Amino acid sequence: MNRISEIFLKELVVEFRQKYALGGIFLFSATIVFLVYKVFNQVSGLEWSIMLWIITLFAGLNAIVKSFVQEKKETYLYYYSLFNPLELITAKLIYNVLFLGLLFISILIFMSLFLGFPVKDPFLFFLGSSLGLTGIAIILTFVSLIANSEQSGSTLMSVLSIPLILPIMMLLLKITAVSLRLISDTSVDQDVWMLAGIDAIMLGTVIVLFPLLWRS
Amino acid sequence: MIQKGMWWKLSGIIIFLYVLWGGLTIPLRPGITSITPSSAKTGDTVTLKATGYNTHFASVKKGRAWLKLDSIHATKSLDWQSTDDNHVSLRFVLPQTLPNASEVFPLHLIIDNETDGAFVHPNAIFISSATDTLSFDNTSWSGHDLGQFSEHTGIQFPYRSILNETIRNTFFHVALWFAMFLLLIFGVYYSIQYLRTADYDFDRKASAYTNIAVLYGIFGILTGSVWAKFTWNTFWTNDVKLNMTAIALLIYLAYIILRGMNYDQDKRARLAAIYNIFAFIALIPLVFVIPRMTDSLHPGNGGNPALGGEDLDHTLRMFFYPSIIALFLIGKWIAELTIRFERVKDYFYLKNT
Repeated sequence: MNRISEIFLKELVVEFRQKYALGGIFLFSATIVFLVYKVFNQVSGLEWSIMLWIITLFAGLNAIVKSFVQEKKETYLYYYSLFNPLELITAKLIYNVLFLGLLFISILIFMSLFLGFPVKDPFLFFLGSSLGLTGIAIILTFVSLIANSEQSGSTLMSVLSIPLILPIMMLLLKITAVSLRLISDTSVDQDVWMLAGIDAIMLGTVIVLFPLLWRS
Repeated sequence: MIQKGMWWKLSGIIIFLYVLWGGLTIPLRPGITSITPSSAKTGDTVTLKATGYNTHFASVKKGRAWLKLDSIHATKSLDWQSTDDNHVSLRFVLPQTLPNASEVFPLHLIIDNETDGAFVHPNAIFISSATDTLSFDNTSWSGHDLGQFSEHTGIQFPYRSILNETIRNTFFHVALWFAMFLLLIFGVYYSIQYLRTADYDFDRKASAYTNIAVLYGIFGILTGSVWAKFTWNTFWTNDVKLNMTAIALLIYLAYIILRGMNYDQDKRARLAAIYNIFAFIALIPLVFVIPRMTDSLHPGNGGNPALGGEDLDHTLRMFFYPSIIALFLIGKWIAELTIRFERVKDYFYLKNT
């Protein structure tokens, strides 16, 4: 537990050392929101929810791509001798989930500034969002491990991760639509549970498969 | 000259030929495509003109027909006049009163003759009361013994309205999905084996099985699309199963791209194996959980009956299960050929460098 928090803190320090990269991601989301605002001027609830998730997805993709490449190979060899893979992946996952959550909240703030905040059921909205973001962060972390172990760039990352994220996205859009009262659905609890189930399955798989990937 | 290991390839081909022959040549059971008029009042004398499909009305000597409400209420036709094989006029004298207190109720038409056997057309005609006062009396409706039905001999596929002849697609569309899933399971099995042993041959196998499964998936979508055009009148709908299949195919196409990357062999193999396992696990909620919780046009979802009842009766089963086996064996054969080709390719590549 102690070591997990140490790795977590290390991630945080590494992130804040590259302030321009961190700022770049937030600036990216702000710019896109402003672009959407200038293009649409007035958005309906449906467009609002779609825009929110598309921007979050791509900003998250940009942010987590560098999750495993911001350090040198030699540093990794050092980590490999130092940490248990389980501890490392737990710390990475916690860090990425929190980072994506922060990114989401900042996008949400920008969106409400320019385009309003049409959510009618905040509890459902934030519950669904946090579950969905957890799932997206898990998948992105996992795929960034696969895609970034070579110089293949972010194309492979998006090709591999977007199909995996699609089912989560569809559930998220539905839950968001319900929380915006765009559609009424009495079985929305089922969708929330399904989202939680997908998260659990993905988490389990990543934890099982990570030691195998880590060996490279 | 049957070589070792050839029996299953041959049996795959033979079973598939059997499915093709049987699935495409065996006729459908007789059925009724349309009936006029569609409604009548009590006390009327109606002449029902029924259009049949695969029927042999012209050669019928002793044709009988009933309009049936439920297991005890029915009325028998007085007259049977067929103009040709597919058209028959049936004269009914409807009783003066309705059998029970209901304003309108549907009657099912039962037709029985010695060449076609007995068959039913549900909700053939709607009967309403001729008078405003609702009086009911079931004596004139009961007491019609339906007697012994003629039996049709020989195999015929069920006649389902809307589906009609496309019911044969069950042997190809549905069987392709089952075979695809079997092949994917083999792919994942070999991926796990690769991670356990790091033997590159397992990676070839996993990749070959997954590739052929993706091909089957594309065929499954194409056959389903054609089927949907005939039954739902569109090539693609917003149906949950269609969306999930599209996502599943995207995931596996991403696998193929990953497998084709220019990494060194061991690394590529390990990444591909890990992604394959991850994709397969991600597929389970996609294919088995989400479609079951949402309404769908497919059988087995949203109150539609699944594989069972009249949709998959024993005549269809005679071809459906063999079709799965045959498609799986053919897929295995193709995969095996790919594996051998890859082995030879790698052999010469190593020899030349």
